[in-house]
Amino acid sequence: MSLLRACVQATAACKRAPLQCVSTFGRGMANDSIPAPKKESSEIVAPEPVREVLVADAISGAPSQLRHRPVRIYQPTRNTMQSGPGKSERWRLDFDILPGGSRWENPLMGYASSADYMQGTRLSFRSKEDAIHFAEKQGWDYFVQPEATKRIPPKNYSENFVYKPHKLRIMRTK
Amino acid sequence: MLRIVSSVSRPSSTGILGKVANTGRRSLASSSARNADITLTVDGKEVTVPQGSALIQACEAAGATIPRFCYHDRLAIAGNCRMCLVEVERSPKPVASCAMPAMPGAKVFTNSPLVHEAREGVMEFLLANHPLDCPICDQGGECDLQDQSMRYGSDRSRFHEITGKRAVENKDLGPLVKTSMTRCIQCTRCVRFANEVAGVEELGTTGRGNDMQIGTYVEKTMDSELSGNIVDLCPVGALTSKPYAYNARPWELKSTESVDPLDAVGSNIRIDSRGVQVMRIQPKTNDDVNEEWISDKTRYAYDGLKFQRLTTPLVKQGDRFVAATWEDALTAIADGLAASGASSNEIQAIAGHLADTESLVALKDLANRLNSDNLILDQTNGHLPPVHGVDVRSNYLFNATIPSVEEADAILLVGTNPRHEAAVLNSRIRKSWLHTPLEIGFIGERADTTYGYEFLGADANALETFVSGKVADSAFLRKWKAAKKPLVIVGSAISEHPDAAGVYNALSKLVEQEKSRLVTPEWNGFSVLQRVASRAAAYDIGFTPSRAASQTKPKFIYLLNADEVDPKSIPSDAFVVYQGHHGDLGAQLADVCLPGSAYTEKGTTWVNTEGRAQLGRAAVSPPGASREDWKIIRALSEVVGAPLPYSDALELRDRMWEISPSLVRYDVTEKTSSGIALAGINAIRERTAGAKIGGAAFKKPITNFYQTDPISRASVTMAQCTRAFTKGENYGFSESSQTEQAAFA
Ligand code: SF4
Ligand code: FES
Repeated sequence: MSLLRACVQATAACKRAPLQCVSTFGRGMANDSIPAPKKESSEIVAPEPVREVLVADAISGAPSQLRHRPVRIYQPTRNTMQSGPGKSERWRLDFDILPGGSRWENPLMGYASSADYMQGTRLSFRSKEDAIHFAEKQGWDYFVQPEATKRIPPKNYSENFVYKPHKLRIMRTK
Repeated sequence: MLRIVSSVSRPSSTGILGKVANTGRRSLASSSARNADITLTVDGKEVTVPQGSALIQACEAAGATIPRFCYHDRLAIAGNCRMCLVEVERSPKPVASCAMPAMPGAKVFTNSPLVHEAREGVMEFLLANHPLDCPICDQGGECDLQDQSMRYGSDRSRFHEITGKRAVENKDLGPLVKTSMTRCIQCTRCVRFANEVAGVEELGTTGRGNDMQIGTYVEKTMDSELSGNIVDLCPVGALTSKPYAYNARPWELKSTESVDPLDAVGSNIRIDSRGVQVMRIQPKTNDDVNEEWISDKTRYAYDGLKFQRLTTPLVKQGDRFVAATWEDALTAIADGLAASGASSNEIQAIAGHLADTESLVALKDLANRLNSDNLILDQTNGHLPPVHGVDVRSNYLFNATIPSVEEADAILLVGTNPRHEAAVLNSRIRKSWLHTPLEIGFIGERADTTYGYEFLGADANALETFVSGKVADSAFLRKWKAAKKPLVIVGSAISEHPDAAGVYNALSKLVEQEKSRLVTPEWNGFSVLQRVASRAAAYDIGFTPSRAASQTKPKFIYLLNADEVDPKSIPSDAFVVYQGHHGDLGAQLADVCLPGSAYTEKGTTWVNTEGRAQLGRAAVSPPGASREDWKIIRALSEVVGAPLPYSDALELRDRMWEISPSLVRYDVTEKTSSGIALAGINAIRERTAGAKIGGAAFKKPITNFYQTDPISRASVTMAQCTRAFTKGENYGFSESSQTEQAAFA
């Protein structure tokens, strides 16, 4: 299965190449690096670039169902309730919820129960590349949400008092 | 990390003070100096920032955290909390870094003993009159005052007033914002937001010093679509959210970043959920779309997600709905389709307001597989092919893009009230109106827009006159004639109007006349403002009827989230299927209801009015037996014997890529080249040539901003807002004070 899957995924990945723009979908490609038995062939095949991706999912013992769960890689934005930008420079990787099994109210106590063992897992990385590398290593399908650039113009206290040639449109009451 | 870019989105003038100090020459033409950068040292680190930046921005750029209460990136600088004190070399006292311009060569210390002491002192003064409410305060856990007093404050106070702490009467700002004014630290962020962004100029301060109070002078609720944002801005718990009061603590919440579909702006949101419930919706900052604001509907309609939900498939038996299994419901549809005898164009699919792109694509594919082209939109005249056509994307999109609205120097609004159709976009127009000599012309039903405009007429004839240039000279006209970047914002209601063809004809003539300024390679000022989240996507994938199909009487109707349909337009013998998440109007008309998921429960694509595709994300799972919408259609396709060729989301997105790559190029807008845009406009002109104008006045499509879709109609908070703001009723909170006033008068 793994070899077949590798081929399927490799083609899927090629097909998806044009999709790779600002935001990226990716198929986990861990299996690509399984050394395929060398086959003598007269065809000239363009050599696949060697990806140094360790096949972690084969040795980690993670349930294989995990490979069918998409993950998202993103940089959380600042909580607008507060001015501190803490934790917003890390890249976070977490799983999309499991439709149906993600949470339900436990009839005994009213607590939230879950059938999803990944719902509490949130991984943080120093860079986007690290996160992508990790997802590929695990063979996870990932979607990368591009970071938002903040555009704050230079601000100045004296703008409050600057002369406007046209009609004054705001009375600053502060 | 904050990046200060010198390509300014907000047209503000350089501080004259800063310039005088730098050049020693006084000049009023102040924009050229903007490009210069200055270099200074913050904590021994060299940093270069654009000239005219505040010192606090320079410190941030250097990676130094400056505590602050009153300074906010998107509001004017007030400089009244003094928490941002830093030490500048050769300055005798600590300086407030937000009110101080960054000077070249300055040496700034943000971490010296002097600064520590200054911060501690400020904290002590702030806390002298701040109640010890934290355990019962909703801000607890995400309070700037709490955090900063822990980090920068002293562990004890020297103030022990015998009279106790200051107490301030609470204000009544309406059903959304709860006030505890004793907690207010007078940062005036709320006042600045209300004045500058929301356009509620009644909110202000009275008194001074210790007696300063925030309020509306006379008792008045805060009537604004953006009022919820002051809850975010308030650094303490003085302004908190009324619907969310005592519901959850921030550390219990799981946040999911997603996209809002309640209007066509596509505001980025953060859905905070606990267990199976959405507890609140917060804005997610995105400078390309919503900056840091979201409208009150976006923020507070979430409680509608709890009520009136369809949780299980329903099949009508006689005059009542009976719960059924998915299998039975889907078979019932297949049987109904067969029994109705509908074939090809008699199968009609109606796309509603909240339909996501994936399900639209699936539904169109399914209808096409059943040989039908009868794909109509849930709006007035939605059964006709749209007058602007869908062949050229720039004919129905907001081409200027939302951030560039601020660059426009003259705006003509045609049949739209952006305040209600795109509240967040409206704040950008206001921002630009305040800071630049922007002039705005308005054709349509008069509305309170939060900025001044010149009223040019209320119907298509007024537009015709404007295009022909036979209007009396006025400030707007002069500005329009001279404008380098003129912008026409056409409301989505225009294409639903009986005069649609005439209006579009006039508009296309206008574009043709002004094409050297209106449609250039750099600027496309012809912008259609959609008001419904699904519309741009529906046009993008061609979810419109062919001419033949629009004449056909349907026998089988598939309502996808369609809740605005006119019941009379549905033939009594037709078999109706409703797929959606709320038991609203559409479900009442149906023979079979299929429970779909709401926007917080599915990770789907939303295309906003600019044509920007954004991927939402599921925060909670759909209730009961509901399923993700495109999967329902996929399952149905199998039962009716026309299976769709995709079985997972990635394959479906490949299909979307085939239809239009822009649907899966997330977070960017794609510019239509000016040549193609002009060709599209020409096509409109040819198609609508000779169209008659009836002259019926344009009507506002949204009369009640707070209830426009099944989610907000099911929401209790939105019902309260409707009573308080739309109907202007007293909703019961300020009764006592009103009677007192009456007695006094
Ligand atoms: S109510 Fe809040 S935002 Fe407004 S001045 Fe007081 S502390 Fe600042
Ligand atoms: S942030 Fe500078 S004075 Fe308030």
